Order: sequence, then C-alpha cells, then structure tokens
Amino acid sequence: MTLTIDHVTKRFGTTVALDELTFDVPRGRIFGFLGANGAGKTTTMRVCLGILRADAGEVRWDGTLTTELPRHTWGYLPEERGLYPRMAVLDQLVYFASLYGQPPETARREARHWLARFRIPEYADRRAEELSKGNQQKVQFIAAILHGPDVLLMDEPFTGLDPVNLALLREAFVELRDQGRTILFSTHQMEAAEALCESVAIVDRGRLVAGGTLAELKRTSGARTVRLGVQGETMPAWLGALPGVLAMRPGAGFAEVEIAAGVEPRDVLALVVARGASVTRFEVAEPSLEAIFIERVGRPADDVATLATGAAGDDDAADDDGTGLDRRVIEGAA
Amino acid sequence: MTRRDPLLPNAGIVARREYRDRVRSPLFVASTFILMALALGVALAPIAIRYLDRQTVDTIVVISSDEDLALRTIAVADSIMNQPPPGADPSTWARPYAIERGTDGSAAQAALASGRIDGVISLERNPDGGLAVEYLTYGPADTVRLTNAGFTSMSVGILDWTSSLPPGSQLGQFQTPEFTTRSLSGPTEGGQAVDAVQVASRSFLGTVFIILMFITILIYGMWVATGVATEKSSRVMELMISAASPRQLLLGKVAGIGGAGLTQYAAIAIPAVLVLAFQEPIAGAILGSAGAGLPTGGLTVGLLVAYGAFFLMGFALFAFVYAAVGSFVSRPDDLQTLSLPLSLIAMAGYFSALLVLLDGGGWLARLASFVPPLSPFAMLARLMVSNVQPWEVVLSVAILLASIVLVALFAIRVYATGVLLYGQRPGLRAFIAAGRKG
Repeated sequence: MTLTIDHVTKRFGTTVALDELTFDVPRGRIFGFLGANGAGKTTTMRVCLGILRADAGEVRWDGTLTTELPRHTWGYLPEERGLYPRMAVLDQLVYFASLYGQPPETARREARHWLARFRIPEYADRRAEELSKGNQQKVQFIAAILHGPDVLLMDEPFTGLDPVNLALLREAFVELRDQGRTILFSTHQMEAAEALCESVAIVDRGRLVAGGTLAELKRTSGARTVRLGVQGETMPAWLGALPGVLAMRPGAGFAEVEIAAGVEPRDVLALVVARGASVTRFEVAEPSLEAIFIERVGRPADDVATLATGAAGDDDAADDDGTGLDRRVIEGAA
Repeated sequence: MTRRDPLLPNAGIVARREYRDRVRSPLFVASTFILMALALGVALAPIAIRYLDRQTVDTIVVISSDEDLALRTIAVADSIMNQPPPGADPSTWARPYAIERGTDGSAAQAALASGRIDGVISLERNPDGGLAVEYLTYGPADTVRLTNAGFTSMSVGILDWTSSLPPGSQLGQFQTPEFTTRSLSGPTEGGQAVDAVQVASRSFLGTVFIILMFITILIYGMWVATGVATEKSSRVMELMISAASPRQLLLGKVAGIGGAGLTQYAAIAIPAVLVLAFQEPIAGAILGSAGAGLPTGGLTVGLLVAYGAFFLMGFALFAFVYAAVGSFVSRPDDLQTLSLPLSLIAMAGYFSALLVLLDGGGWLARLASFVPPLSPFAMLARLMVSNVQPWEVVLSVAILLASIVLVALFAIRVYATGVLLYGQRPGLRAFIAAGRKG
C-alpha cells in the first residue's frame, strides 16, 4: 500500500508549479518532502487532498484515486497555522473531528488524551487566542490526527517550535508511524528530516530531483562532509570562500564543511594548511542531507534570494495570466 | 468518479457552529434586546400617539354673516368630524374637535395664525343663492381634515338646498351618512377588498416591514461575509477546506448565520406581533375605546408569513453573494469597500418597494416585483398595498428560487477559489473569473 504521486503537473497561468512530479511514499513510513520555499510542496499536498485539481497526472492511495477517497483518509496540517481565536480548544478539536465523521464523544476523549500527551491539558477549555503560538501549533497538529487518518500530510510541521516541543512532536511522529500511519511532511529544515525520515523526495521548481531512502541517497551522493577544527576559530569566515566548499555550519568546537562532488577532502585540508591555520581536527564524514540537497538543487533549502528570480514552481510567484486572477491563487479548487 | 461529499452532516455541523458562535456573542444578545425594545416601541407607538392625541382637542371656528347658516354648519360639522369610531364607548369617548361660532373673520384669522385655533370654515352666500365655502388652515392641511371639511361643505349645501323646498314639503331628520373610501386596485384578503382604513394601516406596516427587511438583509449578509473573511484571515480556512467541501462550508455558513438572524428576528418580532395582535384590547384599556383605525390594524397572519418567506429568500440570495465577496478579501477591513455595491443593489430594492407603497407603483414597480434581487422587496410591498394575482406571486417566487440556486452555484465556485487567494487586490474582473473557472 503506497501513496503514489504519478506524473502530476499543475500550472497556475503560465507558471508551472508541478512538472510531471512522480514519487511513491510507502505505507507506514515517515517520508520527508524536501524543497526550498516555492518548490511545489504545498501545491503537491493540496493536489493530494483534492483541494486543487491536477492538470495532468494522478495521485493514488493503495491504487485508488485520492479524489475518490473519503476525506477522513487524510490528516492535514497546513503551513499557515490557524484556529478559531475565540473558540475553546477542546470545542474546536471536537468540531474538526466531527467534520471528518468522528463521533463527538470519541473525539472529546481522544482530544483530551492528546492534549495531555502534549502537556497542555489545562488549555482544553481556554480560547485558542489565549495560547502561545507553539501551543496553538500543537493544537492544530492534534486537529490533524484526531480522526485517525491513514495518511498524514504535514506542511512544515516543525517551524516555530522550541526544542522541547520539537522533541514532543518528533515522538508523536514516531508513535503514529508505529501505529501504521503514513506520514508525508514537508520541510526545508534538513536536520529534522534527517533525524526522522526513512525516505525522502527532493523537489525543485516542481520537479523531482532526488528520491529514495536516506541510505541510498547518501551512498550514491558525490557530496562529502569534512569536520574541521582550527585553533582559535570555530567558524572561520574565510573557510566558506575556499574553492570546492559549498556550505558550512558550526559543530561542537569544529566547522562542518560540505564540499562539492569531485573535490577531495585532502585538497581542502591542503588549502587550510596553506593559509597558515593550525588544524586541530580533520575528519571525513558521511554526507548530510543538506549536502545532498545542495548537490542536487544547487543551493541551500533556505536560500530565499535565489527564489526571487521567479522559479517556475514557486507557489508564491505572482503571475497574472490575463484573467485578473493572481496566480499566487490556487485555482481550480474542488 | 469523484469524491462524494453529501451535504449532510457536514453542512449541518458547520451551521450549528456558526449559529452558536453568533447567538452566544454578547454583541448579538445586546443588539437583540435593543432591537426588541425598538420593535415594541414601534408596535405601541400608534396607541401612544392616539393617547396623546386624545388629550388635545382641535378647535374649528365657523364664520358666516348668515347666523342660521353658521349654526347649521356647526351642527353638521360636529356630527361629521366628531363621529365616534365603530365600537367606541360613547360614555368614555372624547370628541376630538370643538366646533365654535365666530363672528369676526379677521379675529379668527389672527387666532389661527397665533395657533389658538386650528381651522376656520368660512361660508358666504353668492348672489346666485349658492354657497361659497372656504376651509382655512395656517399650515398645510392634513387629508382627514380636508376630507371632513369637504364633506361638511357638501352636507351644508344639501341642507341649504332642502331648506329652500316649497312649504309643506315633508322631510325627515337629517342623517349623517356613513363615509368610506374604496380603491378598485387596492389589496384583497381572501378575494375580498380590504377597507380603506386597513389600506392605510398596511401602507404603514409595509414601510416598517421593508425597512426591517432592508436592514436585516444587509446586517446578516455582512455577518456572512465577515465570518468567511475572518476564517480566511485567521487561516483556519486552510484546515476547513480539507475537512469539508466548499459546498458544505458555504451552505452551512449561510444556514447557520441565517438561522441566527431568524432567531433574532423571532426574538424581535414575536413580542411586537403579540402587541399588535392584542392592540385592540390594549387600546381599549388605555384609550377607553376600541382601537379601530390604528395604523397596524391591517396586520394578518398571511402578511407575516409573506414577510418571513420573502425575507428568507432575499437573505439567501444576498448571503451567497456576501459569502463569495468575503472569500475574496484578505482582511475583514476590506469588506466595507467591496460590500458597497451590494448595499446599493439592496437600496434599489428598497426604493422600488417604497415606490409601490407610495402610490401602488406603476409598471416599473410591477416589473421589479419579478426581478431578483429587487423582487423580495417589491413583491412584499405589492402584497401589502395592492391587488396581486396568485399567479404573479407564484411566478415571482419561482424566479427568485431559481436565482438563488444559480447564485449559490456561482458563489460556491468563487468561494472555492477565493478562500485560498491571498495578497491581491480584489476586483470585479477577478471575481467573475473565479466564478467562471471555479
């Protein structure tokens, strides 16, 4: 049983948001859907849910077109968080679950369980507007899973969470997976994806650029990661300007440096030594998901500047096609 | 094959939430009590006016150089102008006019100008023996007084003529005739013409009903638009649109808010209707006489049902458009500008109804009673004050219902697109494009 995204194409006016996008999500897996802002992640989820109609291609769950499946098959956490501000938390959780066909009493019991699980049972009768953003996000997560959907589509679920809540949410992901739920979540936070996912799909401008299990991707990647310690400097700025260095991030007393395919780690070491730096640590590591992303996409996932040029798959790119409708719009909603 | 999204139970669940959300809000409760008090005030106003009016007596002075003619005129005017309404208790009923003899025309005019008296009937005999009667008022005279003065003039003329009959002619005592008016195109009830007093009552009630319908449709319509815009701006719509279909969401919202509106309407109308229904005994208790002729005497169950039905249909028609408009704005603040054209359309309906109420309306008003969105206003007004054939009502309702279905289908398409549309300036072109493409 898989979720199959099969050659899905979606255009907004002249902008191609999804371009023959194809990948499979195996049942009972946590699947990372990676891409920069505007790569087509939200559009893909909306096509899966039937909110948008694909111009071409199909999305199937266990062989059945998703547009034929009942709505309670899906649990959706949208990227844009929102609740009824003046409605009590428990009431709105029951309300959303009722729309998915769950009896109110069952929904109430389950909601209380999850509120306790997320350490906010005392907020059950509070208005949503009285909660912090992080707690509102947890409530919205509960709203997405309360009716026990087979497939969970989570759009940037970890954005804005503090480390404690992040850990709680990750635990919930694993628990739901162990119950047999299939979880597809989008993110541009590579660390989160690397920590949770068995498989990923990397999209760029509406096209699939890489997909498969993490192990496969790392094995086939030409990207390399070098952990480099330099005396007196944890993150020397000049390191990023060296030839062959794609990106770097801070580690515990060292810099983790992503180097381009074809560049040997020893060449980087030679350049560092030639610069007169005193090297305290040098270690060649498995490529990170971020390195793989950069290798395949050509830029980091959070590189907003690149998007400003108007990527073809940019959900946020305004493109008037002459109808008067801004193509940031999602048209063709069913 | 596509996903089956039956209207129920989701539309019902959405409607229930919308209904509860509205009726539990402090603003709703406060506005209901205020409007209820206003409605009771309107219902009781005619009795209050009558009560206050009872305390004042209008003085009419009769001037004539012919003493006999003057006395005869006073007797006739008194019998006509001080005729008790049907059912009045003669022991408690007070005469509204004092008819007095005056001798000096100039003094009478000065008294009229100073407000000490309210009218002067001046009679002189012409050289040919006929009578010249003048009714003098300081400001514009009201219709009732003019009619009474004219009727008095005619009666005095007849009396004068009979007094010139040859001696020995046998004449009975002068009997003041009953005086009613009737319009051939006036309203009917059960196929029977409604009497003139009730026509006047219905004209008053029609104005109240049309104003009430106009205000409530605009207010409740804005509730719908604001509800949609708020869901969109708070981003809760992102969750809703995956949990329920646009059709379920839109119909549920319109039904829920419409239900809240009806609840408020019932809370306002039921006490007011009870006062109107028992107006006669209330008037009897306060005024000491039956309240015949009260301006709300023409109210019937049929008219109340007609009001309820046309209000519901009018609300549904406007509410779907308001919902579509609400789905197209990114912030509730933008609604004021975008809802202005809708308010203007409702005003057109309101004015077409006033046209009917003023003079029964010509062909234009008749046409308006078949053309949505004017028809809920215009047809209700026609039912109040003119003779409407059953086929006309059926045709008007059928066109209105068909329009509601078409508008709802269009609104659902706009809504489905609009609720996910952010960050652009909404315009008519985009609105129509969204409805076309869905």
